[in-house]
Amino acid sequence: MDLRAGDSWGLLACLCTVLWHLPAVPALNRTGDPGPGPSIQKTYDLTRYLEHQLRSLAGTYLNYLGPPFNEPDFNPPRLGAETLPRATVDPDVWRSLNDKLRLTQNYEAYSHLLCYLRGLNRQAATAELRRSLAHFCTSLQGLLGSIAGVMAALGYPLPQPLPGTEPTWAPGPAHSNFLQKMDDFWLLKELQTWLWRSAKDFNRLKKKMQPSAAAVTLRLEAHGF
Amino acid sequence: MALFAVLQTTFLLVLLPLGTYQRKVSSEPLPLTPESLKVSINSTCQCLNLQWSVHNLPYHQELQIIVQIQISRIKTSNVVWVGNYSTTVKRNQVLHWSWESELPLECATHFVRIRSVMDDAKFPELKSWSKWSSWEEVDVQDSLGHDTFFLFPKDKLVEEGSNVTFCYISRSNQNNISCYLEGIQVHVEQLAPNVSTFHLSRVPFVRPKGTNIFCDVTQGEDPKGTILYVSKVLEELKDFSCETRDLKTLNCTWDPGSDTALEIQPSQSYTLFESFSQKKKVCKHRNWCTWQVSQDSQEMYHFTLMAENYLRKRTVHLVFKLTHRVRPMTPLNFFLENINSTNATMTWKVHPIGNSTFLCQVELHHDGQIIQNKVFMEMNGKYLLSEMEPDTHYLARVRCAYGNHFWKWSEWIGRKFTTLEAAPLAALDVWRNVKSVPGGYNVTLFWKPLSKFHANGKIRFYNIAVENLDKPSQFNLSILAPSNNTALILHKYSYQIRVTASNSMGTSPASVIVISGDLGDKDIEEERVKGTEDGFSLSWKPQSGDAIGYVVEWCDHPQDPLCGLQWKKLGPNTTSTVITSDAFRPGVRYNFRIYEVSTKWIASLLEKKTGYSQELAPSDNPKVAMGSLTSHSFTLSWKDYSTESQPGFIRGYYVYLKSRMEQCTSGFERTVLSDAPANCEHKIDNPEQKTFTVENLQPASSYEVFVTPYTSTSKGPNGTFTKVTTPDEYTHMLIRIILPMILCILFITIVCYFKIQWMKEKCYPDIPDPYKSSVLSLIKSKENTHLTIMNLKDCIPDAIEVVNKPEGSKTQPLGIGKSLTETEFTKPATYLYLLPTEENPSDPGPCVCFENFTYNQAASDLGSCGHIPVPPDAPPSQLGLLNSPENLLKTLEKDYTNTLGEISAGETSLNYVSQLASPMPGDKDSLPTDPPVPAQCSEYKMQMAVPLGRASSPPSEDSSLSSIALLDQGEHYR
Repeated sequence: MDLRAGDSWGLLACLCTVLWHLPAVPALNRTGDPGPGPSIQKTYDLTRYLEHQLRSLAGTYLNYLGPPFNEPDFNPPRLGAETLPRATVDPDVWRSLNDKLRLTQNYEAYSHLLCYLRGLNRQAATAELRRSLAHFCTSLQGLLGSIAGVMAALGYPLPQPLPGTEPTWAPGPAHSNFLQKMDDFWLLKELQTWLWRSAKDFNRLKKKMQPSAAAVTLRLEAHGF
Repeated sequence: MALFAVLQTTFLLVLLPLGTYQRKVSSEPLPLTPESLKVSINSTCQCLNLQWSVHNLPYHQELQIIVQIQISRIKTSNVVWVGNYSTTVKRNQVLHWSWESELPLECATHFVRIRSVMDDAKFPELKSWSKWSSWEEVDVQDSLGHDTFFLFPKDKLVEEGSNVTFCYISRSNQNNISCYLEGIQVHVEQLAPNVSTFHLSRVPFVRPKGTNIFCDVTQGEDPKGTILYVSKVLEELKDFSCETRDLKTLNCTWDPGSDTALEIQPSQSYTLFESFSQKKKVCKHRNWCTWQVSQDSQEMYHFTLMAENYLRKRTVHLVFKLTHRVRPMTPLNFFLENINSTNATMTWKVHPIGNSTFLCQVELHHDGQIIQNKVFMEMNGKYLLSEMEPDTHYLARVRCAYGNHFWKWSEWIGRKFTTLEAAPLAALDVWRNVKSVPGGYNVTLFWKPLSKFHANGKIRFYNIAVENLDKPSQFNLSILAPSNNTALILHKYSYQIRVTASNSMGTSPASVIVISGDLGDKDIEEERVKGTEDGFSLSWKPQSGDAIGYVVEWCDHPQDPLCGLQWKKLGPNTTSTVITSDAFRPGVRYNFRIYEVSTKWIASLLEKKTGYSQELAPSDNPKVAMGSLTSHSFTLSWKDYSTESQPGFIRGYYVYLKSRMEQCTSGFERTVLSDAPANCEHKIDNPEQKTFTVENLQPASSYEVFVTPYTSTSKGPNGTFTKVTTPDEYTHMLIRIILPMILCILFITIVCYFKIQWMKEKCYPDIPDPYKSSVLSLIKSKENTHLTIMNLKDCIPDAIEVVNKPEGSKTQPLGIGKSLTETEFTKPATYLYLLPTEENPSDPGPCVCFENFTYNQAASDLGSCGHIPVPPDAPPSQLGLLNSPENLLKTLEKDYTNTLGEISAGETSLNYVSQLASPMPGDKDSLPTDPPVPAQCSEYKMQMAVPLGRASSPPSEDSSLSSIALLDQGEHYR
């Protein structure tokens, strides 16, 4: 391959441009650090695993509550359960969320849901159900830690719980046990929706992190010159 | 009248003030009238709580009163409950009373009023009801809130089997509301314009999380629901018992029954209360509780166990003396010592309880059975187990009870062990099977293994000592257990055989058998015995009178090569026995041999028996061969049929005959049984008769025959009938004539075949072939090289024979010019001599002419094949063209092919003229001088078909000699 003088200058200019932009790629800012990509992937995988695990747990628990909660077509409008974090969001709003806000919402939601779930576990009458709930809580705790890891990798601070806002699972005197069962139903349903949303969130984050990998490839090619 | 009016007015004036007083009295409150009635609602228990006081009691002392309470629902006139409440009251005392409503109180307005009456004989003046209090209204609907729908009661707790009424208040549309119990819609009744109720009867327990009742109010709203907690009924406490193991701690146990825990109700709690000490303990466990025995030597205890949940309490009492509830702890340090073949010593210790003695029980088990059982006051914790069997597994165990007062045994403590072996107790049961072989015997010894009782341990080997009684000698054998037989080959002497069994501790007594030098096989007739399901009952007659016993021998599996030899030894005074075996099967023949054992231990055959435990029907039918068939009889034969291999003794045979005749033939009887395969049967009672002749049959008739054997049980299986057709009466006569004839013809044919050459030579010899003629060799031998076989082309015709049938002239075409043949028609034939025959025309030439009359009958009528003279005036010019043989042949062939198609059938006949070979061309010149002998030239050389019709036509230049046969000088043979 013979290079003319003009070509050499062009290549040099290209190389300089790439090198100039390399510091701007977050994934390349840490030497030897693989970046948040693997963490996001692991978080995504954990989310899918929890989705699968919840399907089994919810079936058992809703049977424990009895009809109508375990009926497949039971789909009441959510009017109560105000304290539960809502997973449903307008698609445009969801798309416009930045990474930090997206991750913060996930972290906060699972913090609350985990707390409620532990309350559920305390009330469960059967040992088998308690074991299943405890296992799921452990997995959910793992997801929370994973999200915290991604946030730390991206340099985002963890949200601090406001004092006195720790969610509790003590029904008030006016709160009937039927409504309590409704809350349990909504907790499981909301948890399911959150896991589904999180899978979307982390998939989006995963895709968003891919350009950094392209940059690495580009750098390697340039180095080869 | 006036007087009456005055009196009336006066009376009224008197009464009026009295009535005024009365009214004044009645307007004052009566002393027992309830006051300050207040009614409130407790939603949890759906109770109306009433509170009132009685201010105006006339006395300061406490009084017994009865309070009547009236409760109405929705409106005052709708009284739903009236009842009395008896209590004591003091002046200004506030009274309380509660009423549980079936209908949730939130769903309807309730009204309450009360009145009271003195219930004390000391105050008879107050023995009338006070005034009713005013109606007190209770309505909580306004305080429910702003929701449009309410369902009551909320989270109610009831026992299983209760009846519960639910109600709902709907402030919107009532019609679209459906309510469900665990997903199943319930029937709702309207109680008031906005209130509806539904009733659940005998509610069951569903789950600890409660039974869900919910109502679909409207689309887009949460289902409104409530939970009915149905608790299992707290059961009566059963099996409450307390005992101590050390007089320090009491352990009380009971059967807790089912758990009544629900989401809103914990499991029932258990509390132990002791009355004498007034101590109470809440039990942590569901079915047991410990109680520390007080140090103050309390002897009597009165316990009350109380189980309790939100809905019910159960109690049970137990009074006992502490020392009467002592169950010692499990003995310890249990050992088995000095174990030998029959004895062992067991030792143990008991946890001491004060200075008390203990009652102990010792058990010895073997194979799950109690062998020994002993109860005694324990002195030193030692017991000798005796009378055990050698080499046997045992379990020894002990337990103890409190000696002062028996309450319960402690748990067992024990150990398994095995006693040591001892020498076998009994002699082996030995039998033999002797088979004579050239020069000696094959003796197979069999023995039955010793029973566990007699073996006293594991038998290691069997010892066999064989002693020759005739020539003093002995040899020993050892057979390893568990073998149970051995084979010996002995000479023809008498032997004494002693068999013993050995284990690790010793040898059994010997079992003796003597094999005599003379087997003394006797021809004993076999006797049949009838077996039953219980076995074979055999009996025999003693022979010698000094027998020391008898042996019955048989095979369990007689069809197997190994046979499974069995024997049974019987005492000298026994002459009958019943042989039983699990191996006996129906339909199998068992052979029994009964031996008598002499004082010299020699067994000699006494009797033979054979029989079946159960006879069965024959398994197969004989294959019947047919023979001696005549028009009136035939013979059946089944000599190959084995009666021995049948599953029963063959008693005879049935012969069945089917025919179209209505009557059975003589010897056969008509059967009436439906299972008979044919209507005519003949019974043969002798099983050895295996032939039968069916007689008196109709000639030329079809019969079907079938033979089946029978046993005492039944006949043989159904089989196929054999068809037999009797021949015609004359058939056999015909056979007697035709058969010899056929044989004769066959003989003649064979003879002819072998003598065909001779026949041929005699009847139709071969036409001689000149080339193969012996003349040739003769010629050669004479070295006459000029003599040879004539070839056709070398044959020069010298005469023409015109052959004509006499009637052929009639069909001769007319108008043809006169020719040389015209004048010859009167003659039968004319010869034209083409070659000069000056010397002698009648001499035979070198060629001989044959006429084949097979093809010309007309010609054959001529009767001769001799030369027919031709008129000498025949013009030679006509013949000149034929001088050359080639030309002549060409002409002939051409003419022949042309004329063949022109001759009509019937008008012509063929006259073949044969020509003998003429001399070789090279010899043409010498032919006249030396003609061959006619006899040497008598073969066909060539045949030509000559149309006769044309033969009579005058020859023209073109067609010249179409009907002329070319002849050389020679003879005509017929």
